[in-house]
Amino acid sequence: MLSRVANNLFWMDRYMERSYGLLNLIKTNYNSTLDSGDYSSWNRILFTYMNYEKLDGSDYNDSISIIEFMIFDNLNSNSIVNIVSMARENARSVQEHISRELWLSVNKYYLAVTDKKLIKKFRKKDTMEFLNDMINFHHIYNSISEVTQERGNAFFFMNVGKYIERISQSLDFLNVKINSLDYENENFYADTFFWKNLLISIGGYQFYVKTYKSIFNIENIVEIIVLNQFFPRSISFSINKIERHIKILNDINKPDDNILKFMLGKLKNNLRYTTIDSIKQNGLEQFIEKTTFELNAITEKINSIYFYQKN
Amino acid sequence: MNIIYYMKLNNYRPNKKMYDEMVDDTNKLRQVYTKFGKYLKDTSLSELTKLEDFSKQFFMDQGVTFTVYNDQKGVERIFPFDIIPRILSNNEWLKIESGIKQRIKALNLFIKDIYNEQYILKDNVIPTSLILSHENYLLQMNKLKVPHDIYTHISGIDLIRDIDGEFYVLEDNLRTPSGVSYMLQNREISRRLFPSLFPKFNIAPVSDYPAMLYNQLKTLSNRRNPVIVLLTPGLYNSAYYEHTALARLMGVELVQGNDLVVEDNYVYMKTTSGLMRVDIIYRRIDDDYLDPLNFKSNSILGVAGIIDVYREGNIVIVNAPGSGIADDKATYIYVPEMISYYLNEKPILKNIKTYQLKDKKDREYVLDNIKNLVIKRTDGSGGYGMLIGQDANQKEIDDYILKIKKEPNKYIAQPTISLSSTPCLVDSHLSPRCVDLRPFAVYGANGIEVSPGGLTRVALKKGSLVVNSSQGGGSKDTWVLKG
Repeated sequence: MLSRVANNLFWMDRYMERSYGLLNLIKTNYNSTLDSGDYSSWNRILFTYMNYEKLDGSDYNDSISIIEFMIFDNLNSNSIVNIVSMARENARSVQEHISRELWLSVNKYYLAVTDKKLIKKFRKKDTMEFLNDMINFHHIYNSISEVTQERGNAFFFMNVGKYIERISQSLDFLNVKINSLDYENENFYADTFFWKNLLISIGGYQFYVKTYKSIFNIENIVEIIVLNQFFPRSISFSINKIERHIKILNDINKPDDNILKFMLGKLKNNLRYTTIDSIKQNGLEQFIEKTTFELNAITEKINSIYFYQKN
Repeated sequence: MNIIYYMKLNNYRPNKKMYDEMVDDTNKLRQVYTKFGKYLKDTSLSELTKLEDFSKQFFMDQGVTFTVYNDQKGVERIFPFDIIPRILSNNEWLKIESGIKQRIKALNLFIKDIYNEQYILKDNVIPTSLILSHENYLLQMNKLKVPHDIYTHISGIDLIRDIDGEFYVLEDNLRTPSGVSYMLQNREISRRLFPSLFPKFNIAPVSDYPAMLYNQLKTLSNRRNPVIVLLTPGLYNSAYYEHTALARLMGVELVQGNDLVVEDNYVYMKTTSGLMRVDIIYRRIDDDYLDPLNFKSNSILGVAGIIDVYREGNIVIVNAPGSGIADDKATYIYVPEMISYYLNEKPILKNIKTYQLKDKKDREYVLDNIKNLVIKRTDGSGGYGMLIGQDANQKEIDDYILKIKKEPNKYIAQPTISLSSTPCLVDSHLSPRCVDLRPFAVYGANGIEVSPGGLTRVALKKGSLVVNSSQGGGSKDTWVLKG
């Protein structure tokens, strides 16, 4: 497979996953403000994801205009409209490598978000329902990919992109939440409202309740988000996926350099022997920092081995 | 009687000054349109309009679009498509097909000849100066052996039908003719629009074009499973949809110049498993941009050194560089002579009478009859830079004459021939619009194959003769009824 094509496939899925994560975050925060009335929770999100500092959320209407900004703002490269456009532009350049159905679904999503009438719909419609409709495009995209895409280079490069983005988002979410709370406070780990929302925004709430009933206990929550092997959005689950896909890519393409396999094996095993106690002992922040660093090193290697290799 | 007919055909009133593809002088349906005419009589304009809306949405959803960029926002546009098919009889088609094969055979022999022995110049059939000083004449091609002596692998021949009902060749496109993906896409949508008509009509299929092209390209290499790639200028090219469609349908890699690299006299593409040798390049970029080392040095679309590999015989370039010498408006005039010189045959498809402005006698005639003529630059394309005498005002004519006098050898003139018209759905009414026809031919070791029908291009502006998509033209599906 052409290196340029592999790179574009990787980014197509990264962008799709990014937009998916962001929509979920928006939805959760919107929902949580309905209970807490704490509209300033938007400020941190705007700062982290849109690099925007000037807003100060203070009432319900601010929520709505902030969501509108995050979805529709043309000038912000991290708005949903722009992220989806990037995903679609990548898809457009790799049409002969993805299934027809997958292309049609990305294109349809792109046409929907760039439709001038969409903003009117947003203003008229119930916000939750609107966000759910958008999120649904992603569920369709992921399902189509699953059932139509042959398991070859394309599928695995796409998936590596998807899971790298997913981990990087989970780490970001954790960061945002930590920074918005008083980390030094002893009650930090006891703030169930915070942890519950974090779970909801990555879709793990139901799984948590099923597994641990509705007793909110920090050990269990961090277990779900970071270490659980069965929750598809946990960091550990995603690392395992990447590790497996990199192994297959290695078998297909036989690069001269096996370092990637090694790096992923190491990260996977580190996580396997990480416990909630060790995380608490060294601090969650340090854990996030270390994992982010290793993930970046892996991304760089993927770049140099598969996308921009020297001839 | 006529009035009743009009009513029944949704008030279609053809333009009497042209040959109408659907009805004759007495407003009777032509034989070939009998069945479709019946469908039109039974279908209301509002139903047709619904079908048109469906077709627009279909093209958008499929991404059959080009993007116009302004103020940082890309706007998706579809190429205008008219839902009413243009229908040809099998007999009409057989003549066109044999005429095109004959023409391409002669043009190909001509290219081979002028890059080798140059018999046709030595025999004074075509003026030497016209060819050797021409900007499309590539010295790099001299005495170069190409596989099976084929230069013009892929061509599109533009035909028009004059008021006498005869087809004439307007132009040969031997460089990178585009539009074949629209031929395929138009058929796809027609099957959706008229599902009940298709099995009954016995329409010659076009969907095997990609397979035909692939098989013919494959014959150009000695390797058993040659690696074929399609070279595109990239995402921002207006024909990008076509490039992706052809690559996808043929199952070949779509590459850009920076995906390719020349090493040790071979061309390779950069893949995730290292460098992979490429055997055949179907390029969709012009000669000038192909190789910055040999041609335009500032081109970033091509591949440095590829022409040297080509000269070594280690890569096949489709169409061969330098083929443009044969599809120029100045060489066009000599195609009938080429046909008789190389094949000893009479042309099956006629040329349009053409006057050369460099010729004193011709020039006098043109200046005296300018109102009845169309004047074109020999190096122009896309309908630009031409003067349509009957539409121009005196100032435009005077300005144009000044330009001609500066470089008379750059201009030719042809009588204003009327294009034929077909019914089109315009603002929810059936109105006649001018059409041409571009059939696509593929030439490989299996001989010359022509896809039945081709692309019918439509001048959607009322009274316009310009069918080019860059100037408000659209297209429609073309049905060859096998009878």
